[in-house]
Amino acid sequence: MSDEFHVKLYRKFQTFFQEAEKKRRWNPVEDIPWNELNPDAPESLALCAETFLGVESYLPDYIRGGLEAVRASSVAQRWFTANWGYEELKHSMALTEYLVRSGKRTEEQMFDFQAQLMEEEWERPFETGRQMTVYGMFQEMATFVIYLRHEKLALEHSDKALATVYRLNARDECAHARFYEDVTRVYLEEDREGTIADLAFVAKRFRMPGVGLVPDYDQRIEVMRDEGKMDRDIFLKKVYFPLLKRLDVGRRELVAAAAAERRAARETEAAE
Amino acid sequence: MRSVNGNVARTASLGYARGTMERTQLLEMFKAKASEVAERDFDGLTETSVIADMGVDSLAMLEVVGEMERELEVQIPDDNLVGIETVAQLLDVVEKRIQAS
Repeated sequence: MSDEFHVKLYRKFQTFFQEAEKKRRWNPVEDIPWNELNPDAPESLALCAETFLGVESYLPDYIRGGLEAVRASSVAQRWFTANWGYEELKHSMALTEYLVRSGKRTEEQMFDFQAQLMEEEWERPFETGRQMTVYGMFQEMATFVIYLRHEKLALEHSDKALATVYRLNARDECAHARFYEDVTRVYLEEDREGTIADLAFVAKRFRMPGVGLVPDYDQRIEVMRDEGKMDRDIFLKKVYFPLLKRLDVGRRELVAAAAAERRAARETEAAE
Repeated sequence: MRSVNGNVARTASLGYARGTMERTQLLEMFKAKASEVAERDFDGLTETSVIADMGVDSLAMLEVVGEMERELEVQIPDDNLVGIETVAQLLDVVEKRIQAS
């Protein structure tokens, strides 16, 4: 990558970090109105919170995978990943606090849940720093949208504490998604063809983290879909299409890149 | 059987004439493109098939749609691709774009 690439990313990280320090720092114990939680809210609300916690809890694997992917790429991406881990940690802390303070789960159940989660390991789904950046952009924006929907749901059940947890988590996720988006834009400036190939590659294989890892994942997701109404259409409308538009990437470019990838794979197979 | 009116454009790989394309040909094209993208057969697919049941990820499905757009030389607005559940609904959207072009 060019010197300009490193400078641009470093400037993006400086802006991201400054914004975070000035506007987004929060404390999962002190900044949630715990006296406004609703212990009579339905179990489905707690199950959703626990599922989010389950997905967030693979943080050690996400940090390791993320850092391995960007280690050789740029200082901005390495430092971002370190800061990202700190911010994501608070999401798990806040969700755990909610589940215990609401009386929906005991502290012992939370320790058991964490131990059960760590029996599985998350493997990073893509090899390169650029692919992981694209993946992070889609994934963080999708998580932002899901958290916002659950904030609304918590408010409908008069649980202001849980709504605040989701709102603060969502705000972080949005900031992370924007940083990944900025980095993807710089990648496009540096190598449009290669970056579009990676966008197509990741989009085709995209799955949210936690699939197949969190215990009873399928049943949990059914409850979350029923409660939070996140489906394919919302993903396309709120995440995929807006991101492509902001990046000024057309669907046709992605289709052409995907077709080129299929052709290359067939040629490789034929050669073998 | 419905037929699609519009410009006659000979397409390369499947040999369809867009202007005279029958609905069944559109379905065959969809099946062929889905097979190409997902690398498996969709012989049993019908218009009433639910897209979510095809086992093709929604973003991969956009690739299928994109391949059809490319072959048929039409452009489907992103908004039209939201809210589609069945193969028939998707083919309706494609058909309308052909008619509009």
